[in-house]
Amino acid sequence: MTETMKINIGPQHPSTHGVLRLVTELDGEDIVSVTPVIGYLHRGLEKSAESRTYLQYLPMVDRVDYLSGFFNSYAYITAVENICNIDVPKRAEYIRVLCMEMNRMTSHLLWFGTYILDLGATSPLFYSFRDREPLMSLFEELTGQRMMYNYFTFGGVRFDVTKEWLDKILKYTDEMPAKLDDYEKIITSNPIFLTRTKNKGILSKNTALKYSITGPCLRASGVNLDFRKKFGYSIYNELDFEPPVETDGDTFARYKVRIAEMRMCLSVIRQCVDYLKNNSGEISAKVNSVALKVPEGEYTTYVESPRGLLNCYVKSDGTNKPYRVKWRTGSFYLVQMLPEILKGHSMHDIMAIFGSLDVILPEVDR
Amino acid sequence: MNYLYFLYIQFLDKYGIPEIFGDITFPIFPFCIIAAAIILVVLFLVLFERRILAVFTQRKGPNRVGFNGVLQTTADAIKLLCKQNINPVGVDRFLFNAAPILVFVPIMVLWGLIPYSSEFVFMNFSTSAILYTAIAALPVIGLILAGYASNNKYSLMGGIRAAAQIISYELPIMFVLLSVAALASSVNLKDIISAQISSVWFIVPCFAGFIIMFICSIAEMNRCPFDLPEAESELVAGYNVEYSGMRFALFFLGEYASLFVMCAFMATIFLGGYLPIGNKYISELIFGSNFQFLQLLIYFEQVIWLLVKTFILVYLVMLVRATLPRLNSQGLMLLSWKFLFPLSIVNFALIMVIKYLMVV
Amino acid sequence: MMRDILFHIKSLIAGHFTVFKHSFKPAVTVEYPDEKPIIPDRFRGKHTFDENACIGCKTCMRVCPASAVEIFKDGNKKTILFDYKKCIFCGNCKYYCPKSAIGMSKQYELATDKVEDLKIEMGKKDNE
Repeated sequence: MTETMKINIGPQHPSTHGVLRLVTELDGEDIVSVTPVIGYLHRGLEKSAESRTYLQYLPMVDRVDYLSGFFNSYAYITAVENICNIDVPKRAEYIRVLCMEMNRMTSHLLWFGTYILDLGATSPLFYSFRDREPLMSLFEELTGQRMMYNYFTFGGVRFDVTKEWLDKILKYTDEMPAKLDDYEKIITSNPIFLTRTKNKGILSKNTALKYSITGPCLRASGVNLDFRKKFGYSIYNELDFEPPVETDGDTFARYKVRIAEMRMCLSVIRQCVDYLKNNSGEISAKVNSVALKVPEGEYTTYVESPRGLLNCYVKSDGTNKPYRVKWRTGSFYLVQMLPEILKGHSMHDIMAIFGSLDVILPEVDR
Repeated sequence: MNYLYFLYIQFLDKYGIPEIFGDITFPIFPFCIIAAAIILVVLFLVLFERRILAVFTQRKGPNRVGFNGVLQTTADAIKLLCKQNINPVGVDRFLFNAAPILVFVPIMVLWGLIPYSSEFVFMNFSTSAILYTAIAALPVIGLILAGYASNNKYSLMGGIRAAAQIISYELPIMFVLLSVAALASSVNLKDIISAQISSVWFIVPCFAGFIIMFICSIAEMNRCPFDLPEAESELVAGYNVEYSGMRFALFFLGEYASLFVMCAFMATIFLGGYLPIGNKYISELIFGSNFQFLQLLIYFEQVIWLLVKTFILVYLVMLVRATLPRLNSQGLMLLSWKFLFPLSIVNFALIMVIKYLMVV
Repeated sequence: MMRDILFHIKSLIAGHFTVFKHSFKPAVTVEYPDEKPIIPDRFRGKHTFDENACIGCKTCMRVCPASAVEIFKDGNKKTILFDYKKCIFCGNCKYYCPKSAIGMSKQYELATDKVEDLKIEMGKKDNE
């Protein structure tokens, strides 16, 4: 037995996507053990809810996972709406779903770019950022900001969408498939990419279920569980979509699932735009957000975020401040599983596997 | 070069200084020329790479400093020169300082071996091609020492990876060079070029060899997709993670100088070096064959031909860098030992058959 | 085996060609200080304050998640103090102001050397 070497990967490391620390024990380049250390990005988002009113807390939830702010807003807002028994107009729900699916697209595009950069290729990063930019501009036009939207309100959404805005989205959805083909031409069948991802970091069905992994990582392991399909929350049961499923469970399968999900996103976006163009209606229920009366009660929302299941649990004790807000995010469970999935691989594979999980550290620590 | 030497001796003779003094001091001139050329070429190459990568990714690249950004790399170089040289705690001071020099000096020697035009070759040995590959493997010692001396685990792993890489990619290069030497019946770079005057450029009979050489040269330059020793997303910066200021600049300079010289070497042995396309010099076509300074013009034109060929290869290397992800070490070994090495032997055998048929 | 190698070579060439193809497309860079990005109307930048519309109800103070805004009421004089060290530009003060006295401009270049400059008082000068 040779002597092993302990090496700290992170907290400051170019490819830990934030500040994750991996205490890694190496034998040569082979991994003996990995211990993730989290908590470097803890901002007390759950605790700070307890000292703020429901409305004051609303802008902060966008920051739970800064790459998919709409999902967090949606999870929190539906929890509060359900406690208050607020009925949301259908048009508002469609706008919300449209925003969320566009958000999923930006999130996956960013994942694609940074993941390929982790593997060492530079160009796809710029292409994916180039294609993410129109969506960010659309968000800015609609909500006023690129990432921290504060757009959903209790009972609906803040502004109505305009026809020109919807046309821009349609144009984007028409152009995007060709660009996704370009990405795939560069990466998907590249032999170097294949050797680095095929049969690496295999996440078996059982392990995934044991660690309660959700989202694209679970679907890459052969479990067809998508909360959009399962619960049909919001207006998802009116839309026609089929979440992609792969059975291999390796890094390449996760890559393929996300690429397919981007294409699926585009089709869902198109359906939403079609509805919004042909139907009009209220965009918000009449709710006095400033003096929101929340009766005693509790509610948990289930949202399929780009990184898996997103739960927001809100408990109200009848005052104007939440008694407790609890977030359950997909990334936390992925980090928890790292020691298992990295076992038996070499130093090179750490980033290839870790990147494929699409972990966002602020979401882990909250 | 002989002409320069002749001028120098003549100049000394005027003041009655013996020839032996000239013999000893003459190497200063090529040294200064190479040093100046390296700095100029590297400054240009870095700018070229940044611009090319920007073009591939629909960006503009550096365009602020100087006219359209031409002084950007100069400004960067000055910044690096002015930076503090940090000696981290626990480093092996002597090796830590020596490593950048050990990387840079062999590459400088390589620059002297390339025949830039039919007269302009600094060191013309009869075995210069063999010498080239031998010296080209030396910088890795500097990388290993840098990794060891830095007292950093990331550096150490980078250094070890560099060593493993150079061992696996040196052999295919040797076999390809052997096949080229067989074609030219010589291991002198100038003779290899002159052999390409009468026949075709060696890329035609030895295309597989060219591909192998291209891949292995990228590996020897530690560039993407073979940049495992400094894999940014894994080892942060690998062997040079602890270096700063001028010492880091030397590594940087060495990397780009080796990029240029490797491409020049490939252009020399496969693309006819300083030979023009179709063996017709443009200056001869313009000024006619009776022009007084024709020979001198041709020397300069030859340098330009070599530069053009070299930069085409540099462009290809950068295209590869823009496209491909990094290999892992298993893939690196597999590619070399299971694919490139057997292929280079097959290529060598094929070339021997071609040579035999040519002679008969 | 041979088919695999051919397929790999083909995909490598296709990949390189795709990257090469991009070199003919125009650059998408916005050269920021020379060329300003287009700011949409709903952009949430530096605040504006209309002291004549303000009724001093202090709703903005109640909805601000970061306690970044403060209203001072002295008879008819209303002044507002924005603390940009704390402000997260969520826009709650603008959205929930009953009289639309608070607005948000398109001004986003708020960086400064002095920390005092980040506390901005509005509405005082005109009343004095």
